[in-house]
Amino acid sequence: MEDEIHVISMLVRNRSGVLSRVAGVFGRLGYNIESLCVAEMTNPKISRITLVSRANADFTEKIKKQLDRLVDVVEVTELTQRHSIQKEMMLLGIYMNSENREEIMQAIAMFGCKIVSIRQNYCIIENVGNRGETETILAYFEPMGIEELARTGMIALQQHKNGNDDEQ
Amino acid sequence: MEKTGADILLETLAKEGVEVIFGYPGTNSLPILDRISDSPIDHYLVRHEQAAAHAADGYARATGKVGVCLSTSGPGATNMVTGIATAYMDSTPLVALTAQVTTDLLGSDAFQETDIIGITMPITKHSFLVNRVEKLESTLEEALEIARSGRPGPVLVDLPIDVITERCQSTGKKKSALAQKKTANRKEITAKVREISRHLNEAERPIIMIGGGIKLADACIPVSELIEQGQLPFVTTMMGIGSVHSPNGFNLGFIGTHGSELANRAVHQADFILAVGTRFSDRSTSKIEQFAPLATIAQIDIDPTSIGKNIKSDIALVADISEAVNELIPLVKKKKRSQWLERIERERSNIEGKHLSNGFGQVAKFIRKVQEIMGEDAIAVADVGLNQIWTLHSWRSNTPRGLLTSGGMGTMGFSLPAAMGAKIGSPDREVVAFSGDGGFFMNIQELATVSYYNLPVKIIVFNNGHLGMIRQYQDLFYNARFNACELGDKVDIKAVARGFGIPAEKVSLDNSVAGIEKMRRAQGPYLLEVTVDPNNYVFPIIPPGGSNMEMIYGRQK
Repeated sequence: MEDEIHVISMLVRNRSGVLSRVAGVFGRLGYNIESLCVAEMTNPKISRITLVSRANADFTEKIKKQLDRLVDVVEVTELTQRHSIQKEMMLLGIYMNSENREEIMQAIAMFGCKIVSIRQNYCIIENVGNRGETETILAYFEPMGIEELARTGMIALQQHKNGNDDEQ
Repeated sequence: MEKTGADILLETLAKEGVEVIFGYPGTNSLPILDRISDSPIDHYLVRHEQAAAHAADGYARATGKVGVCLSTSGPGATNMVTGIATAYMDSTPLVALTAQVTTDLLGSDAFQETDIIGITMPITKHSFLVNRVEKLESTLEEALEIARSGRPGPVLVDLPIDVITERCQSTGKKKSALAQKKTANRKEITAKVREISRHLNEAERPIIMIGGGIKLADACIPVSELIEQGQLPFVTTMMGIGSVHSPNGFNLGFIGTHGSELANRAVHQADFILAVGTRFSDRSTSKIEQFAPLATIAQIDIDPTSIGKNIKSDIALVADISEAVNELIPLVKKKKRSQWLERIERERSNIEGKHLSNGFGQVAKFIRKVQEIMGEDAIAVADVGLNQIWTLHSWRSNTPRGLLTSGGMGTMGFSLPAAMGAKIGSPDREVVAFSGDGGFFMNIQELATVSYYNLPVKIIVFNNGHLGMIRQYQDLFYNARFNACELGDKVDIKAVARGFGIPAEKVSLDNSVAGIEKMRRAQGPYLLEVTVDPNNYVFPIIPPGGSNMEMIYGRQK
C-alpha cells in the first residue's frame, strides 16, 4: 500500500500534555508529522488539532484508533481533499533587485498573493491557499532565491458537517 | 472546612471505595503517610516500589477493584515503571500515586525529581500532574473512573508536595462528567449481533475465542450461557483462562505459542470464530498469516484499538461484551454439530498423552496435587517462564479470578508481590504463588513483607538451578549452546525463606504430598522449594516465527 497524505482533524481537551500525547502516538510508531496546527475553539476548554502525515491507509486507520483512545481526545476525523476545505498560510521572504522586481510583481499578481512588508529590498509575501497552490508558488519562487519561509501547516474543515457526500 | 491536600486525597480515595494502598515512603510522600493512620485506608509497606505496583495489580486482578500504589518522587516513581507497564499490558485497573517535588522546583533537576509523567506516558491509560490543591479531588475521581471504565488500565497521578500540604476549602463539587468514549449505538449493536448470529448459526465448525476482556467486563456468566446455548466449543487466550465454565467439555484449552495443541488445531480448522475481549496478540496467533485460515472472524471488544489491530476481522462490534452477548444468546440456535465435535474428540484422543513425555506430566501432577490439597477455589499466581506455562496448563481454574499471570508483559518477579495483593484483596481464599528460581530472586525482598504482615501466602519455587525457559530455547533453537542461563545450586532457598521468618520445606517432584499438606496446614505464610530437573521443559512449543500448527514436542533435527 502506498504512502499518501492524510489530514487528521481532532477536537481535544485544552489541557497541558495533550499535544505530547498526540505526538507520542506518531513517534512511538515511527511516523513523522508533516504539519501541525493547534488553536482554541470558541469553547476554550476545547482545541482543534489539524495534522498532516504521510502514511498508508491501513496505518492511518491504526493511528486514528490510537488517537481516539486517548482520554483527552474528544473526536477524530480524517478529512479528504474532495470533501473538505484545506488551507494553509505561508510567509515567504525574498530580496528584490532591479532584475527580478518585475517578475516578482507579476507572480504576486498572477498567484493572488500579497506583499505584507517591504524593508529596503527585502519583501515578505503572504499567501493563503491549499497545498497544491502553496507548492506551485514555492516552486516558482525557489529559483529566485527564497531567503526565509514560514508555513502554518494545514487547517481544514469538512464541507458537510454530517460526513462525506457519497457516504450518505 | 479547610483541609490539607493529604486529607482530601485520602478522603477522596476512601469515598471511591479504596481500602488498601501498597507503598513505600520517601520524604516527598511523607505528608500523605502522616495522615494515613487517621484514614480508613490500610497502607501496606512493601520492600521495593516495583512490588507495590505488582501488589496493587494482583489485588485488582483478584477482586476486580481498582488497585492503588504510592511511591515517593524520583527513584520511587521510576521503580514502579515495570509494575505499571505490567498492568497496562493486561488492562488492570490501577492508580499509581507518585509524590513529586514542589511545583516551583519542577524542571529544576531538584533532588529526587523525575518526569514520571513523561516516562510513563506510553504505558498508562492516562496521567495527571496535579498543580493546584483545588483540583485534587476531581482529578482523583477522574483517575479512578478512567482506570476502571471501558478497557481498564493504569492511571498515574503525580502529586507535588506543596499541593499535598496546602490547605483549601473542601470543594464538595459534583463529579465532572468524563467524556465517554464512543461505542456502537443500540441500532448498530442490534444489526451487528444479528449478523454474528447468522454466521454462528450457519457455521459448521464454529469456535468461540475468549480473551481477558471477559473477566474485565464481568461477562463470564453471559458468555458461559452463550456457549451452553449454542453448544459451542471454545478456546481461550492466556488471559482468558478460567473466564468461562462449561460442564459440557467444550473447553479446548488456550491457544498460542505455549497453548494446547487441541485448541490450536481447532482454531486452524474452524470456519467461524467469534472472538470476545481479545486483541489477537502475537503470543496467541503466532505467525499471523497462517492463523485461522479458513475462518470468518467476528470480534466484539469495548476498545476500538483492539479491533483490527493484529488481525482483520470480518465483523467488528465495539460494545460492552455483556450487553452484546446477552442480545446474542436468544438468537443462537442449539445446533447439533456432531461431525465437528467428533472431529475435535478424535483430535483430543490423538493428542492426549503427548505431554507426558519430557517430564511435563510429573510437574502437571504436582500442580494438580497442590490445587487438590489447597482447595478448588484457591487462587494461583503464576510467574513467568516454565513455571507459568506449567501452571496455566495444569491449574484447573474454576473461578474467573482463580489464575493470575502477567500475560502481555511477561514480567518475571510478578508472582510473589501480586500474590500478596491477591491475598489482601481476597483473604478468604488460599493464594498460591508459583515461580521459578529466576523470577523468585527478582522480588525476593518481598518475603520480608509477607513475613512482617504474616500474610498467609503459600509460595512454591520450582528450583532447577537455571532460567529454564531460556535454557529450553537455547537447547531447541540455538543448537544447545547454553549461555547465561545457569543460576547454579549454591543458594539454599529453603534456608533463605527461614531467614526471612517464613517456614519452608524442600521437596522433590515425586515425593511432595507431605510437604504440600504441611503447607496447607500452616497458619501463616509457607514456602515450598521443589527441585526440578532442568531438562523438564514445556511442550508443545511453537518455534519462533512458526505458525500455531507447527507445534513441536521435542528437539528438532
